[in-house]
Amino acid sequence: MSAVTTPAPTTLDPAPRKPTRSSEAGRAQSRGGRRALGVLAVVLAAMWVFPIYWMINSAFLPLNKLQTPDPTFFPTSGTLSNFRRVLEDPTFWAAMRISLGVVIVVLVAALLFAFLAALAVSRFRFRGRKGFILTILVVQMIPAEGLFISQYQMLDGWNLVNKVAGLSLVYTAAILPFTIWMLRGFVAGVPIELEEAGMVDGLSRTAAFFRITFPLLAPGLVAAGVYGFLQAWNEYTLALVVMTDPAQRTLPLWLQGLVESNRATDWGVVMAGSAVIAIPVIVFFLFVQNKMTSGLVAGAVKG
Amino acid sequence: MAATAPALQQDDTVVFPRRRRRKLGVYGLLVPAAILMGVALGYPLVRQFVISFQEYGLRQQFGQPAEWVGLQNYTDLLTDPYVWTVIGRSIVFCLVNAAATMLIGVAFAVLMSRIGRASRITLQVSLLLAWGTPVLASMTVWQWLFDSQYGVINWVLANVFGLEDMAGHSWIIEPLSFYFVATVIVVWMSVPFVAFSVYAGLLQVPEETMEAAQLDGASARQRFWNITIPMVRPVLSIVLLLQVIWDFKVFTQIYVLQRAGAPTRETNLLGTLIYSYSDEFSLAGALATIMLVITLALTGFYIRQMLKEDEL
Amino acid sequence: MKILRFAAVGVAAALTLTACGDGDDAAADPTDAGTPEAATIKLWLNGTDTPDALREYLTTTFESENPGSKLVIEEQDWNGLVPRLQTALGSADQTPDVVEIGNTQSPTFTYAGAFADISDMYDELGGDNLLPGFVEAGSADGNFYAAPYYSGARAVFYNKDAFAAAGVEVPTTLAEFTEVAKKLQTDTQSGFWFPGQDWYNGAAWIYTNGGDLAVQDGDTWKGALSSPESIKGLEEVQDLFANATNAPADSDSNEPWVPFNAGQSAMFSAPTWARWSIDLPQCNKAVDPDDTSEEAKALRGEQQACNEEHTGIFPLPGLEEGSYANGFAGGSNIAVAAKSQHPELAKNLLRIMFSEEFQNMLGENGLIPGNTEYAASMGDDVYAKAAVAAALNAKLTPAAEKWADVEGDRILEDFFQQLATGADVKEAAAETDQLLEDALN
Repeated sequence: MSAVTTPAPTTLDPAPRKPTRSSEAGRAQSRGGRRALGVLAVVLAAMWVFPIYWMINSAFLPLNKLQTPDPTFFPTSGTLSNFRRVLEDPTFWAAMRISLGVVIVVLVAALLFAFLAALAVSRFRFRGRKGFILTILVVQMIPAEGLFISQYQMLDGWNLVNKVAGLSLVYTAAILPFTIWMLRGFVAGVPIELEEAGMVDGLSRTAAFFRITFPLLAPGLVAAGVYGFLQAWNEYTLALVVMTDPAQRTLPLWLQGLVESNRATDWGVVMAGSAVIAIPVIVFFLFVQNKMTSGLVAGAVKG
Repeated sequence: MAATAPALQQDDTVVFPRRRRRKLGVYGLLVPAAILMGVALGYPLVRQFVISFQEYGLRQQFGQPAEWVGLQNYTDLLTDPYVWTVIGRSIVFCLVNAAATMLIGVAFAVLMSRIGRASRITLQVSLLLAWGTPVLASMTVWQWLFDSQYGVINWVLANVFGLEDMAGHSWIIEPLSFYFVATVIVVWMSVPFVAFSVYAGLLQVPEETMEAAQLDGASARQRFWNITIPMVRPVLSIVLLLQVIWDFKVFTQIYVLQRAGAPTRETNLLGTLIYSYSDEFSLAGALATIMLVITLALTGFYIRQMLKEDEL
Repeated sequence: MKILRFAAVGVAAALTLTACGDGDDAAADPTDAGTPEAATIKLWLNGTDTPDALREYLTTTFESENPGSKLVIEEQDWNGLVPRLQTALGSADQTPDVVEIGNTQSPTFTYAGAFADISDMYDELGGDNLLPGFVEAGSADGNFYAAPYYSGARAVFYNKDAFAAAGVEVPTTLAEFTEVAKKLQTDTQSGFWFPGQDWYNGAAWIYTNGGDLAVQDGDTWKGALSSPESIKGLEEVQDLFANATNAPADSDSNEPWVPFNAGQSAMFSAPTWARWSIDLPQCNKAVDPDDTSEEAKALRGEQQACNEEHTGIFPLPGLEEGSYANGFAGGSNIAVAAKSQHPELAKNLLRIMFSEEFQNMLGENGLIPGNTEYAASMGDDVYAKAAVAAALNAKLTPAAEKWADVEGDRILEDFFQQLATGADVKEAAAETDQLLEDALN
């Protein structure tokens, strides 16, 4: 319990306590051993990041340097023209707007609704609680590849095809189960005593919640939000059928179009496009990472 | 598990007078999520289930009436040896991937808890990058890395390790090698989630317990297996459950790799098989139901266990 | 956004008008049988194959011939077209009024009832001058649903310097083609660029030898890869895979000019527009593609001339000297959606697309027009000649209702890949015939 209530640390390194303390405690493990592990970690980090590096490296290379028998490892004589072609493409910016719109709607709706539901399942015992939890788990087991026809017909009936609202509606519903699942751990981790103490001090229940509990939940919301962001940002299959109007394309559709419109597929441009799509996600990640890692810490007990 | 139980009990006992009103309020909290999921997720799922008992293809999509065929679609699928082959492949692929992801993820988490700040942040940032990059973007680059003509992996094997046979080697033309590549990619993408969650769990292990154990003369290994692992077990079980669920229905990675030039029939998993029934919607629906049943069979025991131990 | 609003207004307007009975607007064109109400109709064109100038022509012509009406052209990607058609064509609100569809996808949608019957327009659109294979792909149960839009035939590009170095001439029979390819083959240079999944090109050997992919027998389809004719072609295919190419078995027909440009292959087969992708190192003037100055344009012109000087083109020869191979033709059909709310306007658009002027415009842009009467518009340079020769002898995939499943399951990609990796031809053909039968019936 005490570990959970510790205010969230504010760096990427959420809790440097443990290793330092254990070495203070006179751990037998040598300094040298730890250094070796550190080197191993850096090597592993390099391996893990290599594909991302390769994407960015390729994005700086002209086609005639990409499709050669000997790869170019550093874009020393690189070109910005791939990025220029992407960034000067008005359809890219249009797709960016649509994607941002979808992501914002999805995040706000999913986090709000999921939070309320998580509050219900983790704070209260009620008839159907276990059934609800099982349902949101089981729903995740059903493959979504065959659902697009029904989803399309539903949106069509409500006149929501080719609309940000329509796509957002289905995305929100699709990510809700996992978001509720994730959030209930965080909500459970915030002790109700704190809130009740606030009420004793004269705060209304709502005020106590927003002043005391909500700030403690923020990291959890961020961690869940990251998941929703990734899903909504990357989804392709459903967007393909719902957003048929070229003016309503989301970024994954735009990227697919980019691949196709270059008759001679220009990998450099495609890599630049991929990198540019990845950037907002990565910025969002790095921006919220401290909250997210500590959010994961808080939610760890419940996964 | 330690965290919820007390909160729940307290809630029910301490605030007893307002209980009745609260009970109704509870359902109120569930309503928005339940309605949204019911409409935009539940309805298509139910419809898919219903269609699986009909003859529903492209013609029905354009207005012809759908006939009820009972279990015909299910028997068609389950009497096709190819479908069983694909089911078998998917199970093996899922188990291997989930196991590899868990092993590496846990190893990374333990590593993170034992190293200095600088190297930990380096590792965490690169995991975040792998996790945060959109699948479509990272699949493009993986395809490019393993490309038989211009891929850097073949180049390195041929020119750095001197394996000249590897120049121009096709990684995806043999099913086993195809699954190896797919596993590398899936594990690469999934490890960050496991590593961060488990690392977060490791940080929850109270120092005092560890120190007490150390004073009692427990070795580092004993402490790890007897204290750390049991304490992070709830995280491990939930993360493993999710990995099994996700890896069993893996689609995008397999689909993109197939399109890169692999033999499709020999590399299909259930996700891509469903997608290939692109205009036989009833078959796709039936196969989705079969997949659900298999997933439940794979995880049911485990879920029941978790329910019993109140980890859900 | 704007487009969407127009469409919505159009639909609403149309609904009120239909409710009032037959439209009697002032905007009547006396040549039309009926007088369709003014509305906005939607045309789906795929990829970038239809050049911008042609799209503009369609919009302005349609709007001037149908006063008050508007034409909105939405470009769709080929990749992902099928799921979009499956959903959008089923919706009265969302359906495009006129759609372009790939010729191999056409039978599936035609049989499913996705398109309006336009049998009455057959003669008006060109009648027996329409590309016959495409007409077959767009017909079902004796009715005509999807008209041939354009075809892109394949021809063989070759490196003249490589031919000179190996001392070979342009082959005049299919057997000679194999011989030439083998002579050109070295460890670093493919005689003929023939990747393992490239059944689009490989089908030519089956067709030319008199074989087929599948044939209709009464109500059922039978795989025809095991027929003696097909086997003969397939054995030649395997010979090429084994002895005349270094192309990887895990590639398809995309970008065959890349190895050609790098000197790694002496021949490749592709639609004739591939000429614009040839970029031999000895001709490269290193012009920045973003540079639009006069100087850069001149340099690019020089570069293209140089590339074309070093590159030759010929239609794949047939079994006998002077004949041509029966290659597989790419291309597409065009149809009116069954759920279109403005079928008369949609048909008016088809009339424009099959007018002499528009058909000639297709030809001038290197596409073989759906109406063969206008094939002369392709011009008479070597590229046009090769394209026309190949197109007139081209053959399509079987016009089977479920052909889309064969493509979805990638049965032929798998099959050719097996040949490329040395599988026994007869065994692989028999197995694949079974798969084709399972998919088609």
